[in-house]
Amino acid sequence: MTTTVVEQWTAEPLSRYVAQASARIVVVMTPAGQVLAQHGFMRAVDLMGVAALGAAIMASSGALADLVGERTFGALYHAGQRHGVHLAGCRTPRGPLVVLTVFGKETSIGLVEFFFGEFAGALSAAAPEAPVRGPILAENFEAELGASLATLFGR
Amino acid sequence: MPLVNFTTREITCKIVYYGPGRSGKTTNLQYIYSQVPDDRKGQMVSLATQTDRTLFFDFLPLELGSISGFTTKFQLYTVPGQVYYNATRKLVLQGADGVVFVADSQVRQLDEDLESLQNLHQNILEHGVDIRTLPMVLQWNKQDLPRDLILAPEELDDALNFRGLPTFSADALHGAGVFETLKAISAEVLRKLSQGASGRQG
Repeated sequence: MTTTVVEQWTAEPLSRYVAQASARIVVVMTPAGQVLAQHGFMRAVDLMGVAALGAAIMASSGALADLVGERTFGALYHAGQRHGVHLAGCRTPRGPLVVLTVFGKETSIGLVEFFFGEFAGALSAAAPEAPVRGPILAENFEAELGASLATLFGR
Repeated sequence: MPLVNFTTREITCKIVYYGPGRSGKTTNLQYIYSQVPDDRKGQMVSLATQTDRTLFFDFLPLELGSISGFTTKFQLYTVPGQVYYNATRKLVLQGADGVVFVADSQVRQLDEDLESLQNLHQNILEHGVDIRTLPMVLQWNKQDLPRDLILAPEELDDALNFRGLPTFSADALHGAGVFETLKAISAEVLRKLSQGASGRQG
């Protein structure tokens, strides 16, 4: 299974959580659906679709909580025939994060919830404040952008 | 702001197609989806009603290629255009790095275009973002319709383009202007990333 991390501080907590909870897929993302770390996907474009839906579920359930006067609904759990999905948020110095976990018959929602608590704590402890970086793209990036888009559209 | 991974040299940007109901936001994404090779796109996700109106959003992940040595990925979203779906529109706008406003060029739709544009400004403001800092382009869609039914690009510019933003005439159903619009918003987003000392470090 593939693990990739965009922000290095997530690597150690993620690998521990995957092993402890026997998770098949874990996606750590911002509330806007930007992925910081993941386990289980080979292709970034497949991962982005799952992240968008996970972030949307969290956002809509948060809005629903607001409407009915709840502060939050906490974790969400969906049980399927072969897979369970656990979706929960956590607060870190990096900002609020959303974690989506997909697991199979080899583990249980109880174990996932238990180890998610530890994972959330580890993320919070490891997260840095968001750093600011200088300009990153070359001055002529627009020519490369044009060429990439033209290739993408077969022009 | 775009997510930048300096370790693996990747940039991920979120672009939202906004506009009134039936202006052609989903059609833009469907056209893009139809043109891009399979190895550069993910599955297009559409959360729609039984009559194919967007209920929550459409989503299309794209892998653009390498820009300045960074593998660049785009997440393209649409919002539901109908007035009563504002709560979901606002959720989708969260964290947007750029916005394409898709206006319906039909004369009788001008009020809906204006209302939607005002609604965009309001929702952006409620997210604590100054709209003047958000990369944005305007698309005048359905310019293929008979001339007596639509407003000319100059008329739409007068009515909707208060900020002198880049504009593109389009016929999204057949693809005209779709590519140019995407190219322009991509350039705006990456230009802002390049100029503003922004981007989260990986």
